[in-house]
Amino acid sequence: MFNDVTFGQYYPTQSFVHNLDPRCKLLALIAYIVLLFCAWNFYSLILCAVVLAAAVIAAKVPVRSVLRSVKGIIFLLAFTAVLNLFFHGGEKLLTPESWFIKIYLEGVVFTVFFVLRLFFLVMGSSVLTLTTTPVALTDGIESLLKPLSYIRFPVHELALIMSIALRFIPTLIDETNRIISAQKARGADFESGNIFRRIKAIVPILIPLLISAFRRADELGDAMDSRCYSGSKTRTKYKKLKFGWRDAVATLIFAALIAGVVLMNIYGASVFPQIYEYIKIR
Amino acid sequence: MSEDTVIHCENLKFSYTGSEEYAVNGVNFSVKRGEFLSVIGHNGSGKSTLARLLNGLLEPESGTVTVLGKDLSEGKNAVEVRKHVGVVFQNPDNQMVASVVEDDVAFGPENIGVEREEIGRRIDWALKAVGMEKYRKATPSRLSGGQKQRIAVAGVLAVKPEILVLDESTAMLDPRGRREVVDVVKRLNKEEGMTIILITHFMDEALIADRTIVMNKGEIALCGTPEEIFENGEMLETLNLSLPRISVLANRLRACGMEIGNVLRTEELAEQIVANMHKRGIYEGQSTDLKVKNRNFVGEWGINIENLSYTYSAKSPFAAKALKNINLEIAEGEFFGIIGHTGSGKSTLVQHFNALIKLPQAEKKYRKKKPKKGEPEPVMPAIYVGKYNLADKKCDFRSLRADVGMVFQYPEYQLFAESVFADVSFGLKNFRKGISEEEIKQAVKASLEVVGLDFDEVKDKSPFDLSGGQKRRVAIAGVIVTKPSILILDEPAAGLDPKGKTEIMELLHKLHREWCKTVVIVSHDMDEIAENCTKAAVISDGTVFACDVPSALFARSDELTGLGLDVPMTSKISAELRKNGFEIAGGGTLEQFADGVSEVFGGAENV
Repeated sequence: MFNDVTFGQYYPTQSFVHNLDPRCKLLALIAYIVLLFCAWNFYSLILCAVVLAAAVIAAKVPVRSVLRSVKGIIFLLAFTAVLNLFFHGGEKLLTPESWFIKIYLEGVVFTVFFVLRLFFLVMGSSVLTLTTTPVALTDGIESLLKPLSYIRFPVHELALIMSIALRFIPTLIDETNRIISAQKARGADFESGNIFRRIKAIVPILIPLLISAFRRADELGDAMDSRCYSGSKTRTKYKKLKFGWRDAVATLIFAALIAGVVLMNIYGASVFPQIYEYIKIR
Repeated sequence: MSEDTVIHCENLKFSYTGSEEYAVNGVNFSVKRGEFLSVIGHNGSGKSTLARLLNGLLEPESGTVTVLGKDLSEGKNAVEVRKHVGVVFQNPDNQMVASVVEDDVAFGPENIGVEREEIGRRIDWALKAVGMEKYRKATPSRLSGGQKQRIAVAGVLAVKPEILVLDESTAMLDPRGRREVVDVVKRLNKEEGMTIILITHFMDEALIADRTIVMNKGEIALCGTPEEIFENGEMLETLNLSLPRISVLANRLRACGMEIGNVLRTEELAEQIVANMHKRGIYEGQSTDLKVKNRNFVGEWGINIENLSYTYSAKSPFAAKALKNINLEIAEGEFFGIIGHTGSGKSTLVQHFNALIKLPQAEKKYRKKKPKKGEPEPVMPAIYVGKYNLADKKCDFRSLRADVGMVFQYPEYQLFAESVFADVSFGLKNFRKGISEEEIKQAVKASLEVVGLDFDEVKDKSPFDLSGGQKRRVAIAGVIVTKPSILILDEPAAGLDPKGKTEIMELLHKLHREWCKTVVIVSHDMDEIAENCTKAAVISDGTVFACDVPSALFARSDELTGLGLDVPMTSKISAELRKNGFEIAGGGTLEQFADGVSEVFGGAENV
């Protein structure tokens, strides 16, 4: 009950997916995205959809919140879909020759494919953010970036910056709300007027917020110094991520998914040859 | 320098760049192993600078700091010394680096390269030492101030320092949080033998130390046991410090002819009062009840709240009920107190008073729902503030906010303009569009003067160049500039030193007399409420636990303690006296209590 966070999308509950190692989830998401773009026909894409559905069920998150994540890209999606539909070339023309706009069968298939890919991609990412706290995500990213420290990439510093940023987001949100309330109590109006007026209205929030952020940074620096921080290489690390049986299961599922997509890409054409041209993009 | 000395400062001097005065000016002192030293002084007396000199965060201009035999002026020792001197700072929020408690506590040991298994053991030990072992996986932003500060202490302890310095670490906490932290520190000193340096401006906290140093203008003004220090009443006044309230009361009782020795604890004072009574052959007695002046409130500037409930982040997994069916009436003319600890819902409550949080019916989107068959009509909350009906969508919220001024906690953090004049006039320009320059000038001048600032001196200054107390006054001026009829203040005295606190309370009384009709303060300082308010309400867990005049309210001291709230000092003494057969009403002002004792005692003449 104390693991809750006050921001981000995290949906607090206990589930198979929640308990996966964040590294496992991150790698799985990357693999999933690559697979989505490697899938050449609907057979492969259906496999991806099945795994996504399974993940949502195993994560015990409301389907609504997964679907809601698509809302943010719907406009972009519609726009590109229309462009694709009209400008994708091909051989089988669907519209009459005389029309100015030409839509090809390949264009339609590709557009449907494109939309589904992006839907799955966004929903897959939201499964990650719904089931993983920002803290666990940072730990996962740090651990995955570890090898880069051999080429002098400041992995530890980056991780500390992310950790401090995460730590202060709720604090600064609280502070912002307090300042907004205080200025509202003094008659500040943030909701009406044209764009310039509104930008000007932000000044009484922004300045106190910046000043406070600097003050906090100053004090945090002192506190870190006092706790012997020197950024040196002799630093040890307490937190250790553990790869458990769940991660092994998830890895197996993904291995199966990869194999499935590859097989479907190769042998898909021979399943129902007569309809294959309607369900492939290459 | 003997074996036992862990810290030794010799002729220590330090000044900040750009300042001509020394922040620390020729300080000499040493601390023995296992000693509990308290350092007191008004804001700006140099006590926080001293803390930063002790672990090498600041380098002295001249003089030496020796910690465990190592001279800090040799640069490389500074880092080494931090392993032995742990410092806990004022703001618990600004000391944490991680979003999970155990990761934060691990930060120190990680920095000095402690092995992984040992870090685990240290986290166990440190969290246990501060009584927070249950919160190992918690998120700091969800903890109370006292809990956060205990985590900060644990984070410092995990480095295993021999000396623990607390730099005003209780200044931002509510009484419960303060008690939690002080208890931890006391135990560390007694059980673990840790050397403690407690820097504070709460006089009663200084009392628990073995030895006290009083700082003034960067120098050590007094040094001795707490008893010796507080004997020196007049001296403390000249050092911009106040006497602990108990000493003030003792002085008053002495004036009534009682023989009161040097007391620093309520039980001792109660014993001595009883002894005095017995000496005169008085074995029981009762003072007249604190007279509640028959106040007939007429006028419109009251606040009336009915059936108010409020839920935070409704419809999310984090939904939390902040207010549950609140009914409250505040009449015009009251100096009203709202009591409760952090998280009790008191700040949420007052934000309803000027519609910063609107009632559901007043929201644009609100549509009245038809109740289902068989279900009663839902009870809707109602708030009336003066002539405004806050449940009405058509209510003029803009002019409501001009009439109900609200000063938030630490209001100085909301200053933003380039000059004091611009900042104070901000609200006026917002509320009264088209007001003439001359009118603005007059209003700003009047409000700056009423808060005790010289208009010509400060008007062009940047608000950020003022001292802490002056900033707060400017912030208050910026709210009262519209001449609100009701003034609401959330923790107006938070973070101020005792003298600053007294001055702010005096200012509020002045505003109550001359400027605003009704004043509402939110506070967790019971003495402040008892001393100043005409009426007060206790908010606990989102409900009104009680609402009455302070003396009647605090008569229920057992119930209040049960809620984890403090009671005023006079109520504590009153409870002790009751055990001995004396009924003297506490919970009012010190003066009323002293009068009550004197009434039973017979006064100075009756010898």
